[in-house]
Amino acid sequence: MKKPLAMNEQTLTLLQLNQRIAALMTVPDTQNVWVTAELSDVSVRGGHCYMELLQKHPDTGATLAKARGVIWANIYSRLAVEFLNATGQRFTSGLKVMVRASASMHPIYGMSLVITAVNPEYTMGDLLRLRREILERLQREGIIEMNRQLDWCEVPLRIAVVSARGAAGYGDFINQLYSNSSHLNFKTQLFEAVMQGDRTPSTIISALNQIAMQQDEWDGVVIIRGGGATSDLVAFENYELAANIAQFPLPVIVGIGHERDITVLDYVANMRVKTPTAAAEWLINRGDIALEHLRSMGASILQLVSDRIAGNKEQLSRYEVLLPTAPITAVERESARLRSDMLSLAQIGARRITPELARLDHIAGSIASATGVVLHRRNDQLNSMQAMLNALSPEATLRRGYSITRVNGKAVTDASHVPTGTKIETTLANGTITSVKQ
Amino acid sequence: MANELQFKSVKEMTYTEAVSELESILQMMQGDKCDIDRLTDFTRRATELLSECRSRLTTTDEQLRSILAQLEK
Repeated sequence: MKKPLAMNEQTLTLLQLNQRIAALMTVPDTQNVWVTAELSDVSVRGGHCYMELLQKHPDTGATLAKARGVIWANIYSRLAVEFLNATGQRFTSGLKVMVRASASMHPIYGMSLVITAVNPEYTMGDLLRLRREILERLQREGIIEMNRQLDWCEVPLRIAVVSARGAAGYGDFINQLYSNSSHLNFKTQLFEAVMQGDRTPSTIISALNQIAMQQDEWDGVVIIRGGGATSDLVAFENYELAANIAQFPLPVIVGIGHERDITVLDYVANMRVKTPTAAAEWLINRGDIALEHLRSMGASILQLVSDRIAGNKEQLSRYEVLLPTAPITAVERESARLRSDMLSLAQIGARRITPELARLDHIAGSIASATGVVLHRRNDQLNSMQAMLNALSPEATLRRGYSITRVNGKAVTDASHVPTGTKIETTLANGTITSVKQ
Repeated sequence: MANELQFKSVKEMTYTEAVSELESILQMMQGDKCDIDRLTDFTRRATELLSECRSRLTTTDEQLRSILAQLEK
């Protein structure tokens, strides 16, 4: 058996307890303190802004702390405008904020933080840091420039549109595109996505995936924001979405920002435009340039062909004029040419023959003188040979005192060959002596 | 002429192919290498390419109205 509660122990009503908690909570340490947190489940009812304030683990994303927050209407009406002007962002879920809060305890609703001021610079700094981190990661992964480096086909006419149906921006784009004065033959298809809030990245990515599956049917993608004048760009500051666009196989035009707002998508998309209308204008301009190129080629060909024909006609008419006189002129020209040829022939002959004749004369003279020289030289030679012969002749030897001994007319050179009693003839320079060997 | 010029059917060409053929015809005509006997053939071909390219880029009012009607559904 359980012991019943002692009636003498002090018992509180719940209200009394809650009031006691409230009194304990509402101390200077919990009042008007600046606190950083992330916004979640932001909603505005009756002018009051209700939200959940979260603190998440920086790496795992797990919730570390959570508290209900409220901004009363009298403050929120002013604060919302100030926040938008300073950050370009609506006071909305997903933002990191620095708020001045006071803890309060309501007997029914429990604890909440009543917010009386917001520091927009903190949010700005956080968004910039977030964007920088995404860009640095895309850079590191080497994909940041991929979509920007894609070339558009010559005339992009088949455009896949990622937007929300019935949105003002989409309507603007379509109207502009199809009301082009050149009647460019655009083909578009809407791939629906949610263009604001948490579901933005995932729905855009799934729309892109659908387009990628039929990428041969499209020349490019245009992502335009659904509508609503308010800025809600934090949803686009998303790594997954940016990485998808950066690596998308077709060039992507992003038209989600306003003039002064830039999201991370503006850094990765092939092109950024300020408004959906500007996207349409760019596409129309591409088409107009192509049409102008065709027009100018057509004009050039026409001009060339007519010049050519005119030139040929002129040539023919000139021939027509020449035709009657041409044969006579030709004959005259030919005979003149013959005459001049003959004349040149004679001149050439004369010019060639005269030096030849002179050369022959010269040669004849040379021959005569050369013969004289040769003959003279021969004569001298003969004379000197005669002199030599005279010196060596037997008569000359005899004159020097020598004699020739002959027997029967034959010269004797050995005395033993001559028997005794032989008649010997001795020839001298002058006369002959006949004797007998003894 | 004995050898008829063989041209690819324009319907089978991509826009880029058609435009580059146009450009080369133009270049040839400008280069004065074009035989007068072939001038007619080339002019006819150029006209055919031009009209095909134009028709691919542009649409008729009728087509346009039907597209817009579909979009408004």
